[in-house]
Amino acid sequence: MSKDTFFDAHQRATVEAAMARMIPTDHEPGAREARTIDFVERYLSGIDFIYARPDGSGFETLSGKQAQAWRQRVGMLQKTYVEGIAALDAVAKQTFGAPFKALSERQQDEALRALERREKGGAGGDGPALQQTLTETELTFVPLLALHTRQGFYADPIYGGNGERAGWKVIGFPGPASLMEVFTGRYSALPWFAEGEEQKYREANGGE
Amino acid sequence: MANKKKPPRTEACIIGAGASGAAVAKVLTENGVRVVGLEKGPWRGRETFGGDELANINRYNLWPDPLLDPRTTRATAADQPRVELFCPVPQMVGGGTVHWQGWLPRFTPNDFRLRTIAGPLKGTSLADWPISYDELEPYYAKVEWAFGVSGLAGANAFEGRRSRGYPCPPLPVSRYAEKFHKGCAALGWNAFPTPQAALSRAHNGRKSTVISAFAQQHGDPTGTRSSALNVFVPDAVKTGRYELRPEAYVRELALDANGRIKAAIYEDADGDLIEQEADLFFLACGAVESARLMLMSKSGRFPNGLANGSDLVGRNVTFHEYSAAVGVFDDPIYAWAGGGYVSASSFQFYEHDVSREFISGGHIACAGVGIPLPINWRLPDAPAWGAAAKQNDRDHFNHTMAVAMVLHDMPRHDNRVELDDNVKDAWGLPVARITTQAHENDMKQGRFLIDRGAEILEAAGAKRVQKVYADRVTGNCSHQHGTARMGDDPATSVLNRWCRAHEVDNLYAVDGSPFPTGTGANPTLTIMANAWRVAERVVEGRGSAN
Repeated sequence: MSKDTFFDAHQRATVEAAMARMIPTDHEPGAREARTIDFVERYLSGIDFIYARPDGSGFETLSGKQAQAWRQRVGMLQKTYVEGIAALDAVAKQTFGAPFKALSERQQDEALRALERREKGGAGGDGPALQQTLTETELTFVPLLALHTRQGFYADPIYGGNGERAGWKVIGFPGPASLMEVFTGRYSALPWFAEGEEQKYREANGGE
Repeated sequence: MANKKKPPRTEACIIGAGASGAAVAKVLTENGVRVVGLEKGPWRGRETFGGDELANINRYNLWPDPLLDPRTTRATAADQPRVELFCPVPQMVGGGTVHWQGWLPRFTPNDFRLRTIAGPLKGTSLADWPISYDELEPYYAKVEWAFGVSGLAGANAFEGRRSRGYPCPPLPVSRYAEKFHKGCAALGWNAFPTPQAALSRAHNGRKSTVISAFAQQHGDPTGTRSSALNVFVPDAVKTGRYELRPEAYVRELALDANGRIKAAIYEDADGDLIEQEADLFFLACGAVESARLMLMSKSGRFPNGLANGSDLVGRNVTFHEYSAAVGVFDDPIYAWAGGGYVSASSFQFYEHDVSREFISGGHIACAGVGIPLPINWRLPDAPAWGAAAKQNDRDHFNHTMAVAMVLHDMPRHDNRVELDDNVKDAWGLPVARITTQAHENDMKQGRFLIDRGAEILEAAGAKRVQKVYADRVTGNCSHQHGTARMGDDPATSVLNRWCRAHEVDNLYAVDGSPFPTGTGANPTLTIMANAWRVAERVVEGRGSAN
């Protein structure tokens, strides 16, 4: 098993606490229960967990230019995190006299908002609505953390987050039981089509 | 290089193995022509694709990686270009068709003569096509049947004459398509099942398409969708006359002493430069990359790029723009079912109408909001994080849909693809620099179409509707056309009506680059039909000077 962590203990606790403010726990699980922290640790650990194999049997080994690009990208993201965590602690200490992880939830929200406002003065931020692609390396720390929390909450569990499919349950996405279900073509979304369409389609195709 | 043998000369060399390159390969090889295909990217099999939203949408598993294949963009020549993944298309065998959901409407007869009907329009380079709908119609039918399209002939009241129906009936009705039909019916507007690149039943020895949630922007692990990778590439390979070399990145087309192309020079996976000689060369890299390759191919005869004596290569580029009205409904829609794009469409506001304050119009159709899967689904005004963001996901994920438009953006002389002066790709070659500024007509048309989409959502019973107007052309729809216009006059076009370069008689471009206008409809059916038309002409003229 490759190394699948990146943060030191303080960084990990800080990011975990911040992610818990991004998707908070309420009457249903949030980022903490879905273990989005493990998702981002894996992502930042190197290039061994970038792409799951499509049948879910493990992860692809990257090589050549693709590996170079991912090493470069992960390096850029690591830097954004290390600097962002330090900036978050600086805001926390300046405003509330304690590191971020020691603050109350309300104080943590305030610290994150303050840092977000400061970052918006610089580059980065949201792309145009309905833009289909987004470049992570251009994001500043708070929007990047929001994105990764979301990815960790909702991505296939193979990436280390979405524990117990918590994210999918919260929003009512039935999802496939595993990557293998999609890979083999057993997975079908027809039950969620208009009334009666699934049966019609199956009959027209010989009861497949 | 030293140890590698130069490959033997071939009859036709096709650069690119996406929709257009594969269509030409199929037609040429099935008619006895020996073809070498040179594709920049890998040749991936279905076993490399899966239902993985994170990898496919967010981590460049299929999209080009901007660290390897960047582009730059700016509004005008006076602006500083910035690096942006502008109008990306997967760079691999199959091209964009690998990960699309494939809306395949035909253009209408008036699309081929819009300047005559509606022009001229100040600030644009609006032009008629040198060919008519009737000339293209037989090829529409050929592609619909050979590629495999599911649709309902006659359902689009604005469609031109058709010689043949669809090979397969429409795909099953999604809940979002049901809403769209309901809204249009209430308004008295024509609507039809969107013709799709999929099989609703077995056809041509292929099985019916598996209806997944991982479709739009996902590869197809089942091999059952209609794509260049699943259909036209295998058709061509089957002939034994198509030698397709993946990871063969063409960097220059070199001329002989007579000004004809002698060879394509490409870099292979080992980084070695190889020369492929051929009688004929077909550019099929997509309108942006085909123009880039022409511009990179400088010579004494063509100091500004291949076949570019007119200075028109790269100009008049159009991109469409994808934007939408978004509706929230009380009852669940499950817009991810089918991938969000098993849709219904209307051409009610497609044709030019003199009573409007803009010319032309566009295709409107229903869809999920963006990619309507858990990570990438998002309401336009949703907060990015916090308790409210979570509640918003919970309340609305299964209850939202979009009515989207394909904007018919106007061609302009100064909207163009060039080579960037500073930014290079991972192979050390200058990237495409896109200069584009939308015409006022585009913005007016976009607002109008999105207003109509909002009316459909309201008529279908949406409890809340938001309009996301396009405020510029961002290249977000991956459609690209017009960089090597076809026309009868060499002073105003790069290619002739057979998509052969006016200035280089063994060079063809068969992707979207010949399109004089982008029209308001999804381009790939027409790209393939036109490529087929060109290939058939080449076969007919084989051995003659054409």
